[in-house]
Amino acid sequence: MPEAARAEAAVPEAFPRAVAGAEPGRVLGLVGPPGSGLTRLGLSLLADPARRGPVAVVDVRGWLCPPAAWEAGVPPERLVVVRCAERDLWARVTAALLEGLPAVYAEVPAGVNEAVLRRLGALARSRRAALILRPLRGDLPSGLAHLNLVGEVVRWEGAGPGHGRLTRRWLTLRAAGRGVGGIDRVLEVVDDGTDALRVVPRLAAAPAGRAAG
Amino acid sequence: MWFPGWRLRRPDAPPGEPCQVVGDGVVLAANSPAAAAGVAVGMQRRQAETLCPAVVTLAADPGAEAAAFEAVAAAVEDLVPRVEVVAPGLLFVPVAGAVGYYGGEGPLVARVAAAVEAAGGPGARLGLADGPFAARLAAESATAGLVIVPDTRAFLAGLEVAVLNREEMAATLRWLGISTLGALAALPREAVASRFGSAGLEAHRLASGEDREAQPRPLPEDLVVEERFDPPLDDLEQAAFATRALAHRLIQGLGPWGGAPHRVVVEAESASGLVRSRTWRSADPFGEAEVAERVRWQLRAWVESGGVPGGLAVLRLAPADRSDRGRQLHLGDDAASELEAARALARAQALVGPEAVLAARPQGGRHPGERVLWHRWGDPAPAPERDPRAPWPGHLPGPSPALVPPEPRLLEVEWDEGLPERVRLGSRWEPVLAWAGPWRHTGRWWMGEGAADRYQVVTSVGAFLFEVRDGACYLVAVYD
Repeated sequence: MPEAARAEAAVPEAFPRAVAGAEPGRVLGLVGPPGSGLTRLGLSLLADPARRGPVAVVDVRGWLCPPAAWEAGVPPERLVVVRCAERDLWARVTAALLEGLPAVYAEVPAGVNEAVLRRLGALARSRRAALILRPLRGDLPSGLAHLNLVGEVVRWEGAGPGHGRLTRRWLTLRAAGRGVGGIDRVLEVVDDGTDALRVVPRLAAAPAGRAAG
Repeated sequence: MWFPGWRLRRPDAPPGEPCQVVGDGVVLAANSPAAAAGVAVGMQRRQAETLCPAVVTLAADPGAEAAAFEAVAAAVEDLVPRVEVVAPGLLFVPVAGAVGYYGGEGPLVARVAAAVEAAGGPGARLGLADGPFAARLAAESATAGLVIVPDTRAFLAGLEVAVLNREEMAATLRWLGISTLGALAALPREAVASRFGSAGLEAHRLASGEDREAQPRPLPEDLVVEERFDPPLDDLEQAAFATRALAHRLIQGLGPWGGAPHRVVVEAESASGLVRSRTWRSADPFGEAEVAERVRWQLRAWVESGGVPGGLAVLRLAPADRSDRGRQLHLGDDAASELEAARALARAQALVGPEAVLAARPQGGRHPGERVLWHRWGDPAPAPERDPRAPWPGHLPGPSPALVPPEPRLLEVEWDEGLPERVRLGSRWEPVLAWAGPWRHTGRWWMGEGAADRYQVVTSVGAFLFEVRDGACYLVAVYD
């Protein structure tokens, strides 16, 4: 992590600890449309638990591309991708993974029963495994996740009208849930394609519809 | 002293028919008819049975194997004291003193060979050399029963580095042009140590014919652990419980000394006062479970041969040949969690099938999806077909997209004088806020692939990668 990022990460206020890495026994919800950068954020949260053992991604669509996880600091030999498109099987597979792995990032297929999700949350707590849930459609049941990170605005730097290339993403997130003491907070995550994810705490909501580029 | 295929010397092994011994689904031993059909040690049981459908499969029973081997160990011990059992079928006999007593290597070896044949039947191979490492290799190379190595260093010098049993190091050494132990021993020890660490140091020591710990530090007396049983135990199950606790005390006691033993002396005193002792040896430092296992095997062997008359009164364990490598054993938690993880992934594999539990390695390529070499979790990672360190001109620079659909999906893009203006995402048209590219990909025209132009586009809901091919636009990646 570069020096500047270290300094910013040390800002204590409005900085949910869970963003520094998935926490054992906690459920983290990542809610937002595809393209908002939450997959990459979820993968980067696996980097810390991957130091303790293999981590898994439950890939519902079969779209996951591991280089994003490698760039985020998950060693290739510690990442296992489990593809599971069937809703009924999904819960059993995720439960099996939580039984033995320190962290699981799971895409949640549409239509999964709330009771099933709560059982998985309870299992993650009892097994001291970190569970990151990324619903592919809709929201998570309230109270399930210790911390919900909702993607609000995404901006990219580097690309112009026909020149440059995508270099850096600014993702504005709203953090809600017990992890932030029940008071919604807004924070910004800066991702430049390395494992040095910067979290910039912000107290005011970002103006909606900020121009990208 | 080595019995090839000791595991197959069992009363239930059918003579003349193909036969294999299997433990944890893996072939541990196969007799010659099975080997002729292609069965090899280390193979999955199912694979072996496919290659040789007539093969008789026996479950491994290390306890029974150790018990059967006890007769051989006892017969050798009658001639030479303090033999070391490595595994059922493999025995180290320290002969330095015995050579003088029996009047030379020849007479000693003849006596040992006769005793072994009387106790364990024909087929034993004997190797005589300086140190267990060379002696074992000599025994393995002995086709006619006996090899006496006059010059251990010269004998080792001609052997390939593969005999060190460290595949990764052997591969690196070969790559460096060092294919024999002689070439390895000729290197400066400091250089080997700095390149390979303690494993390299040990390999250099073995290659130089310096087996055994150079200076085994003396252990304090109180590291010997013992348990007294009153009344004496005559039940193996009860003894097994005590064994585990004793093994735990032994390894814990060694903890502060920063080592774990390569040898453990198991000593049992029967109620009638008879003391029996046997040394077990391992190439890797013993952990608690390994010690407990060896002690259980040994007790079973003694009890079944009537060697503990009146029951077991005292059980004593003494460590020897400590190794600093034993410090690794303190990482026991990690080992346990790795095991749990492997079990969890195996369960997931059982649920969704092995094709859906995947690991990946980097490889070279221009498209984000091409830069991943998938393989089934649990299988060894295949060598990359394309070099990931090569420059790959025309590849997309990082950060990499997190989502790549397996097949490109049609995408509606509105153009304005050759510039992307709007893209259709679901039911909405999103204006293109910024775009970069195109990166031209000429494609493998000799395989019928056409050229494609790739664009990165930014909208208010995120960034995407699409390509224009044959007049149509396709979504190829999402920067999610």
